[in-house]
Amino acid sequence: MSELIEIDGAEGEGGGQVVRTSLALSVATGRPVRVRNVRARRGRPGLLRQHLTALEAAAEVSGARVEGASLGSRCVALYPSGRVAHGSYRFSVGTAGSAPLVLHTVVPGLLAHPGESQIVVEGGTDNPAAPPSRFLTEVWAPRVRQLGVQLDVEVPRRGFFPAGGGRLEVSLRVPERLEAFEIHARGALREARAIATLSRLPARVGERELDELARALDGALPPTVARLEEIPDPRGPGNVLSLALHADSGVEVFSAFGAKGKPAEAVAREVAAEATRWLASGAPVGEHQADQLVLLLALAGGGSFTTVRPSLHTRTQLALIPRFLDVELTLDEDPVEDRARVTVRPRG
Amino acid sequence: MAKRKVALGLVGSTLDAGHGGKRWTRWRPTVALAAQPDLRFDRIELLHQPHSERLAEQLVADIADVSPETEVRLHPLPLNDAWDLEEVYAALHGFARGYPFKRSEDYLVHITTGTHVAQICLFLLTEARYLPARLVQTSPPPRRSDSIVGTHRVIDLDLSRYDRLARRFEAEQVEARSFLKQGIATRNAAFNRLIDRIEQVATATREPILLMGPTGAGKSALARRIFELKERRGQVEGPFVAVNCATLRGEMAKSALFGHTKGAYTGAASERPGLLRSADRGVLFLDEIGELGLEEQAMLLRALELKRFYPVGADHEVGSDFQLFAGTNRALRQAAREGRFREDLLARIDLWTFELPGLADRAEDVEPNLEFELERASERLGRRISINREARKRFLELAAGAPWHANFRDLSAAVLRMGTLAPGGRIDTAGVRDEFERLERSWSGDEGAPGGRVVEALGAEGAAELDRFDRVQLEDVLAVCARARSVSDAGRTLFAASRRRRRSTNDADRLRKYLARFGLKFPGVPAD
Repeated sequence: MSELIEIDGAEGEGGGQVVRTSLALSVATGRPVRVRNVRARRGRPGLLRQHLTALEAAAEVSGARVEGASLGSRCVALYPSGRVAHGSYRFSVGTAGSAPLVLHTVVPGLLAHPGESQIVVEGGTDNPAAPPSRFLTEVWAPRVRQLGVQLDVEVPRRGFFPAGGGRLEVSLRVPERLEAFEIHARGALREARAIATLSRLPARVGERELDELARALDGALPPTVARLEEIPDPRGPGNVLSLALHADSGVEVFSAFGAKGKPAEAVAREVAAEATRWLASGAPVGEHQADQLVLLLALAGGGSFTTVRPSLHTRTQLALIPRFLDVELTLDEDPVEDRARVTVRPRG
Repeated sequence: MAKRKVALGLVGSTLDAGHGGKRWTRWRPTVALAAQPDLRFDRIELLHQPHSERLAEQLVADIADVSPETEVRLHPLPLNDAWDLEEVYAALHGFARGYPFKRSEDYLVHITTGTHVAQICLFLLTEARYLPARLVQTSPPPRRSDSIVGTHRVIDLDLSRYDRLARRFEAEQVEARSFLKQGIATRNAAFNRLIDRIEQVATATREPILLMGPTGAGKSALARRIFELKERRGQVEGPFVAVNCATLRGEMAKSALFGHTKGAYTGAASERPGLLRSADRGVLFLDEIGELGLEEQAMLLRALELKRFYPVGADHEVGSDFQLFAGTNRALRQAAREGRFREDLLARIDLWTFELPGLADRAEDVEPNLEFELERASERLGRRISINREARKRFLELAAGAPWHANFRDLSAAVLRMGTLAPGGRIDTAGVRDEFERLERSWSGDEGAPGGRVVEALGAEGAAELDRFDRVQLEDVLAVCARARSVSDAGRTLFAASRRRRRSTNDADRLRKYLARFGLKFPGVPAD
């Protein structure tokens, strides 16, 4: 058995992402990992339910032995059996914890092993503390497919925080070899699609969001399709405003969640601010996409992309990945512009 | 393998209610319990009234949304009156008895929902371990918060698991022990165990406590300290009333104990409440209880059992709720066998019996008690009394082999005498040597110096004022008195030769007059 990789969970962003990425890479490489100081920089440190689900999911697909698999645990370890099994899986995340984040753990782990899987995740599909389901289907899934993977992500039911009750269905076919790729030029902006998603809230809320978004981004966007989306059979109240921008380089999604006491206009301005930054940078890959893309390319063993100046989350990924994979990650930041180039190369 | 977590709770007909979409904007304890980000249940057992079935099913659906990992089982629990303690307890007790608790599962009882009565019952059942569980309480999120989840606290009723509390109780116990021992750091293991036991019992019971031990073993001092400990713990409201039964004789004894009405007999010019009534809600310490007359014993037994009794000459009973401490230096059981002490009274007071060892059996405690007595002598003599190193060593050597007939009374008197005679208040080896000569003489019955009894009766200074001629005589008289059952008994012993010559007609009177010359009364205590 290969040597245990020790990760200090307090490093970098110091939250759940360190745990998820470590688990994904352990499953991908078969190398055992121990994470100490789990979520040390969070108000309620240690494993919460969605992290525990991610840990259990990682253990299940890799036949691993786990340590510290309990709520509140500050130290967790995963010892993969060496045989990652594709198959049918079903995971549940209570508390409307993010189902997309569980996929971000399990799918990268499986990508290193050819095979076919069907995965169902129950829980929150749209949780303010994580990327919404639209990011998953319109940004993340196409990038995974770009690796040569057949991937289908369905969201038969949306589940907003705090009621949850959502469902994601994924079918996945991983080829023998993943294909690396490069994304540098954004190319032309083809279209913009804004959706105000409402669960048990009056349509007026969504209309105000769309109006304000149009006003804030007036002139910056190509012809925009704006629509209201009302959740059928809704649980609790929930609202997310998302804007998908289709460029030659691919789709980027910007989003913000409504909250009690937060005006619809404020939600729209958050989305507009993020989109404006991306538009101004000229980079094809946005801040959140970069976190996932670097992991996907590292699994493919190569590739590069241009993104906005990386967040702490992205930098944490850059530091973590080479601990597991024989890749070299370089980050070239533009000294003037809000831009950086991330390159993945085989080490040596 | 981690244990499966299982919650047991009641459907809250108010707090958990809600069918429309608005319910997701409200904190509902049962749903919130399932939605805690740092608590995950494999199963929730939900008890509900039959008329709350629709609400219960709604909760099942809602928990499936917020916690798809959790299985929910419903248990109808019919109650006519959810505020009737007896009915609710019986129903929940029945559920608990029938529930298949498993070692592989970790149970939490949710006490936030249900009537207050139901919450109390859950608490009681958990505390009594009918529900082998910990308690969990959920609390709502802050006002105006977006969350409907709030927080939870797990409460383990096993107090021994709370380190800080356990340490505090331990500290209090140590303090109580030290209190009972008057701060003397005694070393004798048997004695320390005895004190631990007394501390436990004394603060837990209102039943009689019997302190047995040879004369001077410290029964009176201990009785008073136990009372003071109870007083500090707020367990007594009344006073500490102490009397030596050897001083209570005849009709006067009855009257002293039980009181009398005005005109109950000649000389009863006014009403007297009596010691039993004075000790109401407090403690009555009857030292030398074996000296009590049979009639008084019968009256005392009745007063103990009924907490009521008739004062002398009274037509109506009076009440007094006192705790009895009894002291005896005799084999009380022997006395009961011989018919001198009532068996039934003995049975009544022989519930918590503690035998205090004599000083000779506690050789290792001479030194700590020497310290204590030096302090006490300093107080009584009004100057600092100390002992030099050589003298201390010598004293402890001699003390180790000494018989200490009157136990702590001997030790106390010895230190007081040495202190009184010590030049500059510093006891030296010569002082120790002289004192042990004196002690040996007193233990062998040949005394040339004030004996322990004289010092005890008159005080060190009083004793020092007596001529040796008188001291020797008084010491012997007091020794006889201490062993005698009554003043007449003592008189018969002291004037036995005269009696044989029939010269004396009233030995008791003669003895009383003799004692009165020293300001004493039988059996050798100051006549106020």
